[in-house]
Amino acid sequence: MIAQKFEYTAPKSLDEALHLLASGAKPIAGGMSLIPMMKLRLAAPEHLVDLRALKDLSYIREAGGQLHIGATASHYDVESSALLRQKCPLLTETAAAIGDVQVRNMGTIGGSVAHADPAADYPAALQALEAKFVLQGAKSERVVGATDFFVDAFTTALEPGEILREVIVPIDDARTGTSYQKMAQPASGFAIVGVAARVRQNAGKISFARLGITGLSNRAYRASASEKALEGKSSTPADIQSAAALVAQGIDANSDLHASADYRRHLAVVHASRALKTALSRIA
Amino acid sequence: MKISGSYVLPIAPERAYQILQDPAILAQAMPGCESLEKIGPDEYGMKMKVLLAALSGQFEGRVRITDQSPPSSFRLIVEGSGRIGFLKGEGLLRLSPAATIRVLSAAPSEAPSTVVSYEGDAQVGGTMAAVGQRLIDGTAKMMIKKFFDKLASLASLPASP
Amino acid sequence: MATTTVKTETFVGKRIRRREDPRLITGTATYVEDVQMPGMHYAVILRSPHAAARIRSIDTKQAVAAPGVVCVFTGKDIKGVGAVPCGIAMPDLRVPPHTILATDRVYFVGHPIAVVVARDRYLARDAADLIEVDYQVLPAVADPEKALAKVVKQRIVSQRLVPMAMETRGVVAEWHGADRQLNLYTSTQIPHLVRTLVAGMLGLEENRMRVIAPEVGGGFGSKLNVYAEEALTGYVSMKIQKPVKWIESRRENFTCTIHGRGHVDFYEIAAKRDGTILGIKLKLIQDVGAYHQLLTPLIPQLSVLMMPGLYNTQNIRADIVGVFTNCVPTDAYRGAGRPEATHGIERMVDMLAAELQMDPAEIRLKNFVTKDKFPYPTATGLVYDSGDYATPLKKALDLVGYHKLRQEQADARKQSKYMGIGISTYGEICAIGPSPATPAGGWESATVKIEPSGKVTIMTGACPHGQGEETTFAQIAADELGVGLDDILVLRGDTAVVQYGIGTFGSRATAVGGSALYYALQDLKAKIKKFGAMLLESEDVTLTGGKVICNKTGNSKSLQEIAGATYRALKLPPNTEPGLMATRFWEPPNFTFPFGAHIVVTDIDGETGQIKIRRYVAVDDCGNILNPLIVDGQVHGGVAQGLGQALWEQAVYDDNGQLITGELMDYAVPRSHMMPWIESHHTCTPSPVNPLGVKGVGEAGTIGCSPAVVNSVVDALSPLGVRHIDMPLTPEKIWKLLATKN
Repeated sequence: MIAQKFEYTAPKSLDEALHLLASGAKPIAGGMSLIPMMKLRLAAPEHLVDLRALKDLSYIREAGGQLHIGATASHYDVESSALLRQKCPLLTETAAAIGDVQVRNMGTIGGSVAHADPAADYPAALQALEAKFVLQGAKSERVVGATDFFVDAFTTALEPGEILREVIVPIDDARTGTSYQKMAQPASGFAIVGVAARVRQNAGKISFARLGITGLSNRAYRASASEKALEGKSSTPADIQSAAALVAQGIDANSDLHASADYRRHLAVVHASRALKTALSRIA
Repeated sequence: MKISGSYVLPIAPERAYQILQDPAILAQAMPGCESLEKIGPDEYGMKMKVLLAALSGQFEGRVRITDQSPPSSFRLIVEGSGRIGFLKGEGLLRLSPAATIRVLSAAPSEAPSTVVSYEGDAQVGGTMAAVGQRLIDGTAKMMIKKFFDKLASLASLPASP
Repeated sequence: MATTTVKTETFVGKRIRRREDPRLITGTATYVEDVQMPGMHYAVILRSPHAAARIRSIDTKQAVAAPGVVCVFTGKDIKGVGAVPCGIAMPDLRVPPHTILATDRVYFVGHPIAVVVARDRYLARDAADLIEVDYQVLPAVADPEKALAKVVKQRIVSQRLVPMAMETRGVVAEWHGADRQLNLYTSTQIPHLVRTLVAGMLGLEENRMRVIAPEVGGGFGSKLNVYAEEALTGYVSMKIQKPVKWIESRRENFTCTIHGRGHVDFYEIAAKRDGTILGIKLKLIQDVGAYHQLLTPLIPQLSVLMMPGLYNTQNIRADIVGVFTNCVPTDAYRGAGRPEATHGIERMVDMLAAELQMDPAEIRLKNFVTKDKFPYPTATGLVYDSGDYATPLKKALDLVGYHKLRQEQADARKQSKYMGIGISTYGEICAIGPSPATPAGGWESATVKIEPSGKVTIMTGACPHGQGEETTFAQIAADELGVGLDDILVLRGDTAVVQYGIGTFGSRATAVGGSALYYALQDLKAKIKKFGAMLLESEDVTLTGGKVICNKTGNSKSLQEIAGATYRALKLPPNTEPGLMATRFWEPPNFTFPFGAHIVVTDIDGETGQIKIRRYVAVDDCGNILNPLIVDGQVHGGVAQGLGQALWEQAVYDDNGQLITGELMDYAVPRSHMMPWIESHHTCTPSPVNPLGVKGVGEAGTIGCSPAVVNSVVDALSPLGVRHIDMPLTPEKIWKLLATKN
């Protein structure tokens, strides 16, 4: 397990990092996926620029009625944030479900999201939260929504030379409940299937529903058919069941040693139903 | 691993059959293909660079076309090996005229199109095989989709002289 | 008559914390990788990516010319090195020649092809990438059943497992040409056997080689072997006259260190209508892998020896078919043949109970060899030393609240809930073993020295690597000599320090090595008393509390005073030599046969197939217990690995012989958060075959666990007509059963 020779830079500023990226360096932001690949020589970047060195990018704060999470906030930072626990519990619950303690100490939200592993946990929650991603280029920055950000397996809207600087999530009111339900692959801890639910109730009816699904296919997605089916319903078990049944509709499910496509589809339905029930039960 | 699926190309079967065996077009459409040179009848030497997430690797190999039955089917065999492992894919491609499709435009028009369905086997060996279990299926799907997307965009260009 | 009260603290039987742990948990232990030497060179091995291929050519030119590279050897360059040994001799056993590097053929993914040696391990690794090998790929066989026909009563699979020691293997070889001396540091369970066999492979006189097993970070049987890399690293050091280090990567550990299990078994069990077992028949297909490693052919034989289990039947028939495959060889992994057998027997007994509509506890109690039948000769030629099989089962049934649970289960079933209660009553063969029954001598050795200052040094021929004998052996010696634990040092694992020994495996170190220690201590005690008597000028003396006391006067001499006198030797007792040291090589008259009962209560999620272990009750009888803390630790570790096999782990080769669970991303080793609470209890039936009355407990957890788990899950699903499920019990397997049977 010996990596190829590479250069390593701990940049002092985001500008320096962007400059290095422009000259072909690869960003690392925790290395929980990259380092194992490098050790096996499946990846051989010549130059790593370590974004975790950018300490002022690990903030978690509230501003303008939204929550802003810096790219290098570790999963542990998110999991243990009192602010998020109070104002966006879906994110703390999801962060706590990632990998193991070591991974949560080293891995960062920016690293995970930019890597876009099809079985990563965050993307499900970020889809359900309709998160926004601030992508910083050398000259300008732009903001991309979750549905456009996650393109395909390991493929995001990030252009070469851009750094994911910040993740923005909304603050929901007390009528909103959320839940992340996951079946973990026992070896890696990745989601075989993970479902994040975010529902709002008004006068006994579901006024708003968002479901983010990870692990099932090549990209985390929003289960729009299920969401539509829920809106205006009174959240009886039958309502939930019939909405959850639509969660994998039209999805080309992946299959591997750990779970067949059929089983993944089934798990998506079961976990969608559980996530919805739990989310509804959490509405104050 | 079994692979199968289908894709609609916005061209007639005869043309589809032709471009699916055109090394110049294949070289552009195959993700990561750096060169494709004829080394024998229906046999091509290939160099490709696979870039997937953090994974990167150079492969050298061969592409062979057998069991030709124009314009309806042929077999494609791709083999490559490199430092990070080796891959082998073999599949039967069937071409059939598709029911006419609507092309999205202000004035709906009808165009000839072809359903390409494929069915085959893919194998991965070496270091790649050891780490990619949960990724191989999705990756294969993504590569095939990229291939056909690119092919479709190339096919809609006017045929080179 | 004077009376002297001597207050002596005793240690045997107490929960003494392990003395080896501080260095292990503070990261200050010295493993092979920590061995540093001036002028160290590093070896990296190029391995086959193919399971079966002919090597047309190997081009090392670029690698040889690469920066820092000192040499590159391929199979053709290696001259005068013997084959990797198989230690088992059997009539008609086919043993393919196993060279340390491949020459013209490769037979498994990971087969070593060339070794690159450089001043720096990074440069060596870079250069390995520059070697060009031209392979002609050949068809591979990865499935041992493919070549064979089948007749079935029940097919039961014990899947291949990766032993997964936390420390991978590693070797440092240091050749001193002028002295003709090879020092070999290797992560092994058997330093002396490695010395004998690797010296033989290298054509070196045995006494010119010193093998040191420094701290060994787990073995589980995978380091009970002699590997190509041990000879190869020694060979390279002798060639370049420099110290050379090779450290196995985790990827190599997956593909090149032996695997365990790999059985496909076909069982038949016959019984009377009343449940009396009449006989058990087995056809055992053993996936050998590409070669026989040191003990490969022995492992399925251990399964057959264990076939009667705890049951009173004299009708046993077994056929073993070994099948070579293009996979890494199988060999001993924690339990080594016994978990496979126990799994098969305990599954069959449950199936029989279901067939006869008997309670699984009742059918076991009916068939146990009863307490009055010991020593009990089995149909497989063993003599069970002592046993009381009903007691641990009854205790486990009480602890778990069996009858109440059955009631609860009946209620759960009415609500379509899946709850299972699984019982396994296992036996095992430990304290391996009497020399005539082992391939290389089954005795063990111990030396005890009392230094002139009175401090005690023990040198054991066993090679503990996590089993805790630095603590338990000190407990034995402290009680025998009446000294404190801190007065005692236990040395192991260095052939230049320790007399010849066999090593640690097969739950033998305490039962056999501890017995050798016990007898060496008796020799010393006799000598201490002799000197004490001389110094006290009385024949009527007692050794207690670290003193020899004159029973008449109450005068005493401390151990320190006596030790000093034995070395100063101003005066000697008649026919007595100076010094205080004794060595014993103890030959065990029999194996020991521990046993126990494990009960597992499971709840199954009817929607996802996920299994939750609600209770795990283990009642193990390992004879006398020297240190309950260590025994619990062994049970916990064993159960963890048993759960690994039952629920998560599998070494999967695809049809082309690629190991597709070849990294920890895909191979699910149990972790702490996946473990249930283990309720560990004991009964005590001392062994009559050794002076300590101990039996061994290192493998018990692994052996008892997997059938209890599978029996529990099958029990939960039995209303659906489920009769057997092969391991690992993945949620998807369970979901499919729920989906098709419902």
